[in-house]
Amino acid sequence: MGDDGIFEELKQSVIDQDEEKVLATVDKALAAGVDARKVIDDGLLPGLDVIGEQFECEEIFLPELMQAALAFQSAMAVLEPKIRESGGEGPKKGRIVLGTVKGDLHSIGKNILRLLFETSGYEVWDLGIDVDLFKFIDKAKEVDADIIAMSALLTTTLIGQKDVIDALGEQGLRDKYRVMVGGGATTEEWAQKIGADGWAPSAYEAVTLAARLVGAQAGSAA
Amino acid sequence: MIDLIEVFDRAETGPLTSETDYYMKRYVPKLAEVIARYGIKWDKQTIVNTDDELTDNVFSAAVDLLAEAGAYCPETNRVMEFTRDEILTACAQAPTSATFGEGRERKAMRGRRPDTTDDRPWVHVGGGIYTTDEQVFVDTVEKMASFSIVDSVSVPSILHIRGKDARVRSPQEVLATIKTVRLAREGILRSGRVGLPIINGISAASQPASMFAATYPDFGLRPSDGFLIDFLSEMVVGYEALQKVAFYNTIGANIGSTSTPLFGGYAGGAEGVAVTATCYMIMGNLIMRGTYHYNAPLHSKLHLSSTKPLIWAIALSNAAVGRNMGYPMVNLPYLGGGSGTKQYHYEMACYMLAVVTSGGNVFSGHPAMAVQPDSLVPDDHRFHAEIGLAAARLTRAEAEPICQKLFPLFGDKLKEPDKGLTFQEVYDPRTKRIVNADYQRVMDEVREELAGMGLEVPVS
Ligand code: B12
Repeated sequence: MGDDGIFEELKQSVIDQDEEKVLATVDKALAAGVDARKVIDDGLLPGLDVIGEQFECEEIFLPELMQAALAFQSAMAVLEPKIRESGGEGPKKGRIVLGTVKGDLHSIGKNILRLLFETSGYEVWDLGIDVDLFKFIDKAKEVDADIIAMSALLTTTLIGQKDVIDALGEQGLRDKYRVMVGGGATTEEWAQKIGADGWAPSAYEAVTLAARLVGAQAGSAA
Repeated sequence: MIDLIEVFDRAETGPLTSETDYYMKRYVPKLAEVIARYGIKWDKQTIVNTDDELTDNVFSAAVDLLAEAGAYCPETNRVMEFTRDEILTACAQAPTSATFGEGRERKAMRGRRPDTTDDRPWVHVGGGIYTTDEQVFVDTVEKMASFSIVDSVSVPSILHIRGKDARVRSPQEVLATIKTVRLAREGILRSGRVGLPIINGISAASQPASMFAATYPDFGLRPSDGFLIDFLSEMVVGYEALQKVAFYNTIGANIGSTSTPLFGGYAGGAEGVAVTATCYMIMGNLIMRGTYHYNAPLHSKLHLSSTKPLIWAIALSNAAVGRNMGYPMVNLPYLGGGSGTKQYHYEMACYMLAVVTSGGNVFSGHPAMAVQPDSLVPDDHRFHAEIGLAAARLTRAEAEPICQKLFPLFGDKLKEPDKGLTFQEVYDPRTKRIVNADYQRVMDEVREELAGMGLEVPVS
């Protein structure tokens, strides 16, 4: 089978959200000598792109998205050590620390965000709901995050997003991370007012935003 | 019915499972299985289902779902399991009426059956929408309570203390919650109907401590009001909810079990929402010990409940419970259009026609997905209550063609809904009379259009 065939098969196994098939096809590709990075970039991620689009158009829903993400994660557990063995770079597009701010228990939007980030190739640390501002900052330092992403659904918890941005400023860390905010109660104006680097109305658009922010980050570091 | 302590114990004794495993190995596959088992399918066209074999199948599927997947308690990481017998006994013993209010205003909300055309459903108006000003808050409540057709109100929330919004869980939130309750009772008192129940207790509280504090009798709430207790995402029963159950059950208060199954979330599409919404009403009685249910399915991206598959699913869940359990329920409509817009009135009429003929009570709609401050405009709610009462005289089969005429008037606008008005833009602050002529005109026109479609809506 030519290269294209195996990549098509990898992609399809992800679209089918079939964990066993994903793992079997990854094994097959590795046995045939395909580079682990190529398995991800040319096989699995294009499959996840399709999954993301299907989710956006309501052809599939959260369970299917999760199933695809779980299959992808299992494959990554096999592929990542291979990449490290060969001294390769981590395959991720960027590192994101994510959570719902202090006092806010709304998790659904944030969970969708995590899945879409993960399935778009980002490494995500999901701190959960009701997240203390220092947890955001400490985790971002610990994992050398590119982006801190915060969700807030209540008018009275919005302030938690500002708290984190202010605290980053007070600690002299504001330029180290890109900060994006979102969730039901937020607006673009709010994001601007508190000095966030970006805002998105949906998880799907948040992924585009992340790419833009990581790109800008790389640009500013250069 | 198994007793309450036993229910609490189930959260400690059930199988240990992570939340992801609960969803991916229990809820999601079981939901798909019961949908297939009973052949539940939406034809992508119908808004108001009239096929009662399907209706009863939805109920059976909901019973199976709870019996086979259980509910999940995140604090103990355990599945709360119930046998089919326990579930069916609880359904058979569910309350079929809930008594609210005091004095002249003391009345019963009843569980209704679909196609009942000779009763008067319960009329509930309002919403827990954020307000920016104490005067607007009191005026909004007073005005809503003053409409004679209204049996109960949901009051907005007002969260600032000395000009600053109280942070969630701060001591200021406790004070803001108490203030909300006191101002709400004051607004009701000014309407001349002091015994009128508030059934969205307690809108400003984000935590049990604030809720319990504001329940102190001197502040104006009574067990004959209604206290909402929510499920945390799909099938998840948190300890905070169970703490509220423990308290409100002990003071003999009306508990409104509340659920917001999400279209596009773990529940999937129309069929999954219909079954899950029905399952919530079963759990609302068994686990939350509710006397009534707040049924609030909504779309995970649009944040509203007026899409075609959602109205179908919501109405169907009402019919399933109405025919098989009789638990009193209201449906909380999140609508896209802003207050006072035609879009908002059309959405409400379509939703109301579907749910009221299917066995629901009347509940006016939350405009603009309920995130626009000061957007409770009382006369909208009066109009919507009138629409609900008019709908109650129709059967589902009579409602369906009207819904089909209404849907195209707003369906395409749901992604970018029309912006609406605020209380301040409609009323004279002193006389509380409508001073916005356009507002009145739009409402009059819609009333006429509805009559043209076959729904005569008398002015109350
Ligand atoms: C489900 C729900 C709940 C559930 C939460 C379950 C859970 N596990 O998440 C429960 C029942 C627990 C709940 C509780 C409360 N809720 Co609530 N809830 C909702 C509801 C119905 C849906 C929210 C939701 O999940 N939407 C679907 C998700 C997918 O949308 P989303 O979160 O906005 O996320 C999308 C985007 O915004 C974006 N996004 C999200 N996060 C981020 C982050 C970044 C960085 C980016 C870029 C993008 C992004 O991507 C997501 C996917 O596209 C809304 C109603 C509504 N109209 O939205 C009310 C609502 C948010 N809740 C409200 C309230 C008031 C409360 C309570 C205070 C009620 C009470 N008195 O008890 C409590 C607060 C508890 C707390 N401390 O947080 C109000 C908020 C009003 C306001 N403006 O402050 C709303 C609007 C309802 C209302 N007015 O009637 N709620």
